[in-house]
Formats: sequence, structure tokens, C-alpha cells
Amino acid sequence: MNSRNDRFTVIFVTLVVAIALTLVPMPPLLDLMRPYWVALVVIYWSLETQDKISLGMAFTLGLALDLLTASLLGLHALSLVIIVYLVARFRARLRFFPPWQQALSVLALLVNDRIILLWIISLRGEPLPSLAFWLPPIVGTLLWPWLFLLLDHYRGVMRHRSLR
Amino acid sequence: MVTASPGSGSRFSGPGGHTARLMLYGLVAVVLMAMDQRGHYVPKIRYAAEYLAEPVYHVVEWPVRAAGNLFTQFSSRRSLRHENDQLKELLLSQGGALQRLDALAAENKRLRSLFEGAQSQEFEYQFAELLQVDLDPFSHKVLINRGFLDDVNRGQAVIDGDGVMGQVEEVHLHFSTVRLISDPNHALPVQINRTGLRTIAFGSGETGNLSLTSVPREADVRDGDLIVTSGLGDRFPGGYPVARVTVIDREEGKTFAQIEASPLAALGRGREVLLIVTPPAEPELELAPELEQEPESEPGPEVDPEGEPGVTEPE
Repeated sequence: MNSRNDRFTVIFVTLVVAIALTLVPMPPLLDLMRPYWVALVVIYWSLETQDKISLGMAFTLGLALDLLTASLLGLHALSLVIIVYLVARFRARLRFFPPWQQALSVLALLVNDRIILLWIISLRGEPLPSLAFWLPPIVGTLLWPWLFLLLDHYRGVMRHRSLR
Repeated sequence: MVTASPGSGSRFSGPGGHTARLMLYGLVAVVLMAMDQRGHYVPKIRYAAEYLAEPVYHVVEWPVRAAGNLFTQFSSRRSLRHENDQLKELLLSQGGALQRLDALAAENKRLRSLFEGAQSQEFEYQFAELLQVDLDPFSHKVLINRGFLDDVNRGQAVIDGDGVMGQVEEVHLHFSTVRLISDPNHALPVQINRTGLRTIAFGSGETGNLSLTSVPREADVRDGDLIVTSGLGDRFPGGYPVARVTVIDREEGKTFAQIEASPLAALGRGREVLLIVTPPAEPELELAPELEQEPESEPGPEVDPEGEPGVTEPE
């Protein structure tokens, strides 16, 4: 029971850091390239743990993100629910992909997410965004292997500590 | 399929349940978005919930501010002296410009008094800083660190050193959200400073671009023309610089020209802003002479785009 709680604490901490990275101010150029941190962390946890991130949790997390970033309420909720669903569905395959192939799958997930966002933007009647709109998925994919290693390391450290 | 993963079958809801719940959550999310967009209930819930968001903003902002303070601590004496000299110079030159402005303002007042008592209002400014938090770029909002406790009101105009930025949308206890003029749903009554031609500046969704609607094709608009607020619509007082014309597209066979302008204010990038405090006097007083000249045009940001676009104000 205790280790279960520890597991949740670890997930919670990484998500909080991801949200902070989403909000922290950046110069305009870097702001354009800011990856979808929360999605990357959520993908990691749904890949590495079995059903630790449920659809309901993704939805709640998305609502919190919507509130904090002042976006349309439900926007991130929808996107995170879809991402978690897709990862859960293809988890068995994704887990055993070599790193570069896994990064490509992450790219597919992030691009798919951008397409959904594009659909919502056009439904709202806003003009279509510039090409820079597609930068975050690319940056996210490039960061994925390093983030994966980092989170794995962090998880290892935390597990080690809880065993002691 | 889902059954391919050994663990998924262990869920009591089964593989089908997963998809069903995705559909359910998706539906709820879409309904929420639609309600938020249309302004049913959801904005109120959001308003209440944003109180919870405030501590998060402060926590995120804290290291940024701390780093900024540290930087100021260690920036060398020489560079500070240099900056100080520059600022003094700037102050002097702006003071000089202001002296002339004072004379002009006095002259303006005199002339206006000839036109039957139209008082031009004196405005006060309230200083505010942007919260150092990056929001969703598609939200077209920024947060400022003044709220209900600092007497901020909904609809107050927000400017920075260069031009109009937006208007206060929601007021919380210690902070407020400001809707930027680049929002596609934002319309700002403006006029071209050189000719007095009135039009409306709509946001384009990009921070570097506003589009001016219903300007006749043959109207006198030039590249680089300054666009200022016209003061119609009561929200924004008149005469504040908004943007400069960048693109004029006079397509054959169309009634209106396509005009784009780039905002002068650093939308969403600046640090300090000013809130314009309107005195409680009736704003109609100021609008009265303008309304007499063109009774067809309605005041208000939602002015009908077809309504009297080409009337030029007599100089």
C-alpha cells in the first residue's frame, strides 16, 4: 500500500513539474517551440505503468491545465484523454519498440493532437495558425529519448529510496 | 487491438469499456468547450475556479522574479549608470515633447469649448505588471497583477508604453485577465490619424496583425499610417495609438480594401502596462460632438461593419 502511494507521489511530482514548465515564461522564439510537456510526461507514465493514468485522471489533469493556461475549457482534457487512450491501446507494441521507433510513435501522437487542435481552432472560426504551429511536436519528439531516460532514472532513484 | 496487451483484459470493464469511456469523456470535453465558447455557465465556473489557480501562478512566477532580481543585483555599476544616463536623456526629450502637448491640449480645450461645452476628460493611469506566466497562445489573454483589491474594473482599457494592448476581462482578487486586441473576436473602434477615417480594427489571431474592415477601396490610406483609438464605444478613450498600416490590398472589383496593421504595443511580451482609469463622469459628454457629425454610426465595439465606413472627419 505504501509503495503504491509512493508511486502516485512520483507521478504527481513529475506532472507538477510538467505544468510548471508549461507556464514558465520564455522568450518569444522559445515560446513558439515549447513542447507539450504534460503530454510527454503522461505518455511516459501510461507506457511504463499499467493503468496508473486512467482516462478520468487524464481528463481531470486536462481540465486543470485548461484553467491554468486560460484555454478553452475542455481543450487539453480532450487531447490528454485521446493520448492516454491511444497509448493504452498500443501499449504492448510501443513498449518494445527501439527508442527511435518509439520517438516516431510519440511524434505521431503529438501530431495527431495538433490536428485535433487545428480542428477546434477552425471550428471556433479563428484563422489558421502559421507553420510554427507544427514546431512543438517536433521539439517534443527530439526531447523524448532524453526525457524518457531522465524519468526512468528518477523513478529508479525513488524506488530505491522507498525500498530502503 | 486492445486484447493484444495482456493487462487490458484484466480491467473489469473490458476492452469495449475503454472505448466507451473515451467517447464519454470526449463528449463531455466537447460540450464544455462549446459552452465555454458560447459563454453558457462555464465562464462562471471558470471564474470561480481561477481563484485556485492564483497560488500556482505565484509559485511559477517566483523563480523568474528571483532570477530577475538577482540579475539586477549583479549587473555592474557601469551598465546601470549608462542606463540611468539614457533614461535621463529620454525623460528630457519626452518632457520637451510633452510641453508642446500641453499647449496643444489647452488649445484643443479652447476650441472644444467653442463647440458647446464638450469636455475632454482627464485620465489617470494605474501601473500594473504582467504576471510572468505564459498562457495558451490561442487564448489571446494575459494576466496582470492588479485585481479587485486595487479597484480594477471590468472593461478597463490596458495600454503599454507604445500603444493599446487590450481590455480587462475578468477581475479576481489580486489579478485580472486582459483580453488582447489580437483576439479574433475583439473589435476596436479606431481611426486613421492622418485623415480621421473611422474604421474598426479586428484581431487576426496573430499578435503581429490586426485587420481593418470596411475601408473603401479608394479611401486615402497609406503604408505606415498611424491608427489611433477613435473613442467611440466608451471602452477605449480616443487618441491612443494602436497600430501602423503594413499591408494595403486594393483588389479590383471589391468595394472594400483589405488593410492590415501591426500593433504598436508588445502584445503579451511586455512587462509593465498601464490601466486607464476613467473618471466617473458620463462618457456621452465626450462623444456628443462626434455623434452629431455622423448620426448613423452607433457607438460600441460591435458597430456594424457596413455602417458609415467612409465618412471622413473634417479637419
